[in-house]
Amino acid sequence: MNGPDVVWYLAVAAFLFCTGALGVLIRRSPLIVLLSLEIMLNGANLALIAFARQQGHEDGQIFALAVMAVAASEVVVGLGLIVAMARRRLDLDVDKLRTLRG
Amino acid sequence: MDWLTTALILLPVGGALLIWIVPLNPFAVGSTALLVALAEVGLWIDAVSKFDFSQPGLQLDQQTSWFSDLHVSYHVGLFGFSLWLVGMTVVVMAAAIAYAFWAGRDRPRAYYGLMLLLTGALVGVFAAQDLLLFYVFWEAMLIPLYVLIGVWGGAGRLRATIVFVIYTMAGSLLMLASIIVLGLSQGTFDMIGSGTNGSDWIFLGFAAAFAVKAPLFPLHAWLPEAYRESSAEVSAVLSGIVSKAAAYGFLRIAIPKFPGPTSDFRIPILVLAGCGLIYGSLLAFRAPDLRGVIAYSSLAQLGLITFGIFAVNDLGLNGAVLQMVNHGLISATLFLLAGGIERRAATGELARLGGMARGRPALATVLMTTGIIALAVPGSTAFAGEFAILSGVFFTGWGWAVVGAVAIVLAAMYMLRLISAVLHVRPGASVSEAALDLRPAELGILVPLVACLLVLSAWPAAITDRSFVSSPSAAVRQVLP
Amino acid sequence: MIPAAWICLFAPLGAAIAITLAGNRLSRRAAGYLATTSVLVSFVAAVVSFAFLLGDPPDNREHYSTLWHWLTAGPYQFDLRILVDPLSTFMMLIVAGVGFLIVWYSIGYMDGDDEERRYFAYMALFVFSMLLLVQGGNLLMLLAGWGLVGLSSYLLIGFWHERPTAIAAAKKAFVMNAIGDATMALALFILIQRDGTLNFEVVFSRTGSLGTWAANLVALGLLGGAVAKSAQLPLQTWLPDAMEGPTPVSALIHAATMVTAGVYLIVRTNALFEAAPHVQELAAGLGAATLLMAGLIALVQTDIKRVIAYSTMSQIGYMFLAAGLGAYADAMFHLMTHAFFKALLFMAAGIVIHALADEQDLRKMGGLRQYLPKTYWAFLVGALALTGIPPFSGFFSKDSLLAPALAHGWYGQLLWVAGMVGVFLTGLYTFRMLFLAFWGEPSPFVQEHFHALKRDVVGVSLAVPVGVLTVLAAFAGWIQVYNFWTPISNWLDPVAPPLVTASGLQEAATSVIAVALALTGIGVAWWIYAARRGEAPRTLPLLQHKFYFDELYDALFYRPAVFLATGLYRWVERPLVFGSLRELAAAVRELGFETRSIQTGLVRTYVLAIAASLAVITIVFVVVR
Repeated sequence: MNGPDVVWYLAVAAFLFCTGALGVLIRRSPLIVLLSLEIMLNGANLALIAFARQQGHEDGQIFALAVMAVAASEVVVGLGLIVAMARRRLDLDVDKLRTLRG
Repeated sequence: MDWLTTALILLPVGGALLIWIVPLNPFAVGSTALLVALAEVGLWIDAVSKFDFSQPGLQLDQQTSWFSDLHVSYHVGLFGFSLWLVGMTVVVMAAAIAYAFWAGRDRPRAYYGLMLLLTGALVGVFAAQDLLLFYVFWEAMLIPLYVLIGVWGGAGRLRATIVFVIYTMAGSLLMLASIIVLGLSQGTFDMIGSGTNGSDWIFLGFAAAFAVKAPLFPLHAWLPEAYRESSAEVSAVLSGIVSKAAAYGFLRIAIPKFPGPTSDFRIPILVLAGCGLIYGSLLAFRAPDLRGVIAYSSLAQLGLITFGIFAVNDLGLNGAVLQMVNHGLISATLFLLAGGIERRAATGELARLGGMARGRPALATVLMTTGIIALAVPGSTAFAGEFAILSGVFFTGWGWAVVGAVAIVLAAMYMLRLISAVLHVRPGASVSEAALDLRPAELGILVPLVACLLVLSAWPAAITDRSFVSSPSAAVRQVLP
Repeated sequence: MIPAAWICLFAPLGAAIAITLAGNRLSRRAAGYLATTSVLVSFVAAVVSFAFLLGDPPDNREHYSTLWHWLTAGPYQFDLRILVDPLSTFMMLIVAGVGFLIVWYSIGYMDGDDEERRYFAYMALFVFSMLLLVQGGNLLMLLAGWGLVGLSSYLLIGFWHERPTAIAAAKKAFVMNAIGDATMALALFILIQRDGTLNFEVVFSRTGSLGTWAANLVALGLLGGAVAKSAQLPLQTWLPDAMEGPTPVSALIHAATMVTAGVYLIVRTNALFEAAPHVQELAAGLGAATLLMAGLIALVQTDIKRVIAYSTMSQIGYMFLAAGLGAYADAMFHLMTHAFFKALLFMAAGIVIHALADEQDLRKMGGLRQYLPKTYWAFLVGALALTGIPPFSGFFSKDSLLAPALAHGWYGQLLWVAGMVGVFLTGLYTFRMLFLAFWGEPSPFVQEHFHALKRDVVGVSLAVPVGVLTVLAAFAGWIQVYNFWTPISNWLDPVAPPLVTASGLQEAATSVIAVALALTGIGVAWWIYAARRGEAPRTLPLLQHKFYFDELYDALFYRPAVFLATGLYRWVERPLVFGSLRELAAAVRELGFETRSIQTGLVRTYVLAIAASLAVITIVFVVVR
C-alpha cells in the first residue's frame, strides 16, 4: 500500500465530521448550516473510501458515490428552500424560524 | 350448528345495511326499521320455543374458528338467562325504534341504521361465548351510541357524549388488557370449557369495564348527563339494555372465571353497590327534572342488581336476572313516557309540571301503573326480584338486607313524588289544556311493555324458573365452564 | 270449596281490570254495578267456602291450593297459593260482606262524580288485595296482599287528586306503610334463611328452631308491619290524614278492613309471636298506649270523620291488646263487630256530610236529629255499639276482649286499667260527636245548607247498606256470649289457641265496670254538650297537635332525608363526581402543556437531540458489548 496509514484518513474524516457537526449546531444562518452538513457528509465519504481501501474491495467507494448523489439532491432542495425563504424576506436565522413549535 | 343465534345478531345489521344502501323516503326507512325490529322479536320468540329449559349448558350455539393460532373463534350461543336478556333487548329496541318512528327524527336513514346496528351489537354481547368476540361486540355498542347521543341529543349533548365515550373506553381498555392476558395465559379465548383464573388484577380489569358501564357508584359521573341529553328512546336503550350488558358481564365472566378474586373483592363491591342504592335513591328523591329522577333511580336499581349478583347464591342470582329484565322494561317505559311528557310540556322540570291526570286518563293510568311497579309494590314483578335479591344478600350478612329495606322506603318516596309532580294537584306552568292524552301510537308502544310487566307480576317464575337449571347447589355452577 | 275460594279472590280483580279496560265505553253507573256485583260474587263464594268448611271435622280444616309457582330460585320456591281455614274464611266473610255493602253504598255516595269509574276500579282492586292478604297461603302472598292494600289505600285517599292535602295524605300513608313492608320483609328474610320456605305449615311448626335472637327479630319485623298497617303507635300519624279520601273509602279501608290487617297478622302468625313473648307483650302495650292516646285526641277533634278515625285507632288498640296477650278469638270477635259498627258510623256520617254539601265540621252542625231521623237512629245504634252498651254488639266483644287481660298477671292488669279508662273516653268522645251533630237546635249552617236525599237509586243505595249494618251492629254481638255460647272461639281456636282465658268472675267484673264507665262517659258528654250545663275544659295544645307526632316525624325523618339528599348532591355529586371529571380533564390538559415544551420549533434542539441520543446509544452498545 502506498501513502499514509488508513488511520490518518479516518482521523481527517473524523475531524471533518466534527467540524461539520459543530457548524450545524452553532451557526445561525441556514446557508452555513447546509454548508456544514455538506462538510459532515464529506467526512463520512472519506471514512467510507478509507475503509474501502483497507478492505480491499470497492463497496465503500460505490457507497460514497451514492452518498454524493443524495447529498447533491439534498443541497438542491435545501438551497431551493433558502431562496424561497429569502424571496419572502424571512429572516435567515435558524433560531427565528420556529413556527412548527408545539 | 345452529344459525338462529347468528341470525338474531345479523338480522338487524342486515337491516341497517339495507337502509343505508337503498335510497328510500323517510317514511319507508322508518317502517323498514320497525319491521326489522319486529321480525327480530319474532325470531326471538322462535328461539324461546326451540330452547329446552330443562337442559343445562349452552344451547342454540355455533362455533367457527377465527384466529386459529390464538384459538379465537366465533362462538355464539345462549343460556337460559341470556335468552331472557336478549328478549328484553329486542323488545325494548323495538319499542325505541317505534317511538322514534312516531316522534320523527331527522336524517332518518342514518338514525335507523345506527339503531339497528346497536340492536345487533347488544344481542351479540349477550350471545358471545368467546372473549375477544365479546369485546368486539362490547365496543361495537359504543359506536352507534356515540353518534346517536352526539347528533340527536339535547343542548348539552357534546359534553355528555365525550364524557360517556371516554369514561366507558377507559374501562373497556382495561378489560381488553385483561382479556389479552387471560386468553394468552389460558391458551384459548373461548369462555366455555376454559378453567378459572386466580389473578386479582385480571379480575379488576374486567370489573373496571363493567363497573363503569353499569354504573357502580362512584363511577357514575357520565350517567346524569348522558341520560338527560339523549333523546328519550336512546335514554331508554342506555338505561334499559346497555347497563344490563355490564351486569351480564359480571354474571357471565367476572364471577365464574375468577372465583378467588370474587370472594376477595365481594365485600368492597357489595359496599359500593349498597352505596349506589342509597345514594341513587336519595338523589332521585330531590332531582328537579323527570330525567334526573329516572336516571338516579337507574343507578339505584343497578346497585340492587349488583347486590344480587355478588350475593352469589341461588336467590341472589335468580333475583338479579329477573330484576335485569324488569328494570329494562320499566326504565324503557318510564323514559318513553318522559319523552312523551316532555314533548307535550316542552320541559321536563317537575316544578313546571303537574295536574296532567285531569282529562288524560290514558297517560295517568300508564304512568301510575309503571310508577307503582317501578317502586316495587309487593305483588309486582320488581318486588319479586327485589325480594329475591335481598333475601339472597341476607345470607351474606343482615346489614345488607337492612340497606335494601331502607331503599324500599326511599323508592316509594321518590317514585310517588314523580307521579304526583306530573299528574296531580294543579296543572303546572308548562302544561296547557291543549296537551293531548296518549295517542294510539304511543299506547301501541307503551301498552305492550306494561302488559309484559303485568304478566311478569302475576308470574315472575316464568323467568326465575327458567334462567338457571335448578340444582341443589348454587346456580352459578351452571355458568361455570 | 277450593274453586269457590279462588272465585272469591279473583272476582273483584276481574271487575277492576274490566272497568279499566272498558274506559269510557262503560257508563259510570254500570261501573258501580259491576264492582258491586263482583264483590257480591266474592261474598257468595266466601259463604260457600265457609259452608263446606263447616262440613269438615274440626281437626281437618286446613286446605291449601296452589295455582302456580310465583317465584323460584334453586331449591327455594314461593307459590301463588291460598289457604282455606277457619281464620281465613272468617276474614273473607267480613271483607267481602262489609265490602259489598260499602261498594253498594258508594254507588249513591259517589253519584255524579266525574271519575266514578276510576273509583270503582280502585275499590274492586282493594277488595281483591285484602282478600289476597287474608287468603294468602304463605307469608309472601300475605306480604303481596299487604302491599297491594297499601297501594289501593294510596290510590283511594288521593282519589280527588286535585287537592294538595289529599295527595299529601296519600303519599304519607303509602310511605308509612312502606316502612312496615320493609320491616316485614326483613322478618321474612330471617325465616327464609332458617326454614328455607315461607309456607305457613312449615314456618309455624318450626318456631322452636329459631333461637331467641331470630325469633325476637322476626316478631319485631312482623309487629312493625302490623303497627304501620293498623295505625298504632308509633306509626299512627297517617290515619287521620287518610280522611281526605271519600267517606266510603274511610269506611271500608280505614275502619272495617285494611287497618284491621295488623290484628289478623298477629293472630295468623301467633306461633311466631309466641316464640317471642316479650315482643308479643310489646304489641299489647302498644295497643293500650294507642287506645288511650287516640281516645284523648278524639276528644278535641272538630271534624266528624276524624273523630271516627281516632276512634278506629283506639278500637284497634283494643284488638292489639287482646292479640298481644293471646286472646286471639276475642280480638277477632271485636274485629268483626267493629267492622259493622264502625262502617255504620262512617256511612251514617257520610249521609250527613252529603246532606250538608260536604261539610264535615262538627261545630257547624246541630239538630240534625230533626232533619235526618233515620240516619240519627242508625248513628245512635252505632254509637251505642261502639261504647259497649248492652245489648248491642260492642258490649259482648269489648268485654270479652278486656277480661282475659286480668288473667295475665300484673302486666295484663295494668293494660286492663288502660282499657277501662279507654272505655270512659270512648263514651265521652262518641257521644260528644253525637250530641254536637244531632241534638240541640238546628244550627244556622244546617238550616241554610241542608238538602234532603232523593228516594231513588241513590237514596236506596245509601239507605239499605246502612240499614243492614244497623241490624248487624245491634245484634251481631249475640253470636258469642261470654263462656256460655262461644261459636267464634270454637271456630277459631284450632287455628289460634288462646293463651289466656278469663274466669267467670273476671268477665262479670269487667262487664259491670265497663258499662258503668261507659255510662259515666256518656253522662259527662250529655252534661257538657247536650244539656249545655257544663263548660268543656280548655283543650291542651298537646291534644290539639296530636301529641306532636307529626312534628316529631317531620324533624326526625323527612327533613333529614331532604337535607341528606340535597347535601349529597351539593357536596358529593357535584364536586366529587362531576368535579373529579373536570379535575381529570384539567390534569390531562396540564400534562399536555408540559409535554408541548419539547417541541421548541428550533432545528438546533432537534439536531442536538438526535446527536445526543446517537451518542448515548453508541456508548451503551460499546459498553454492553
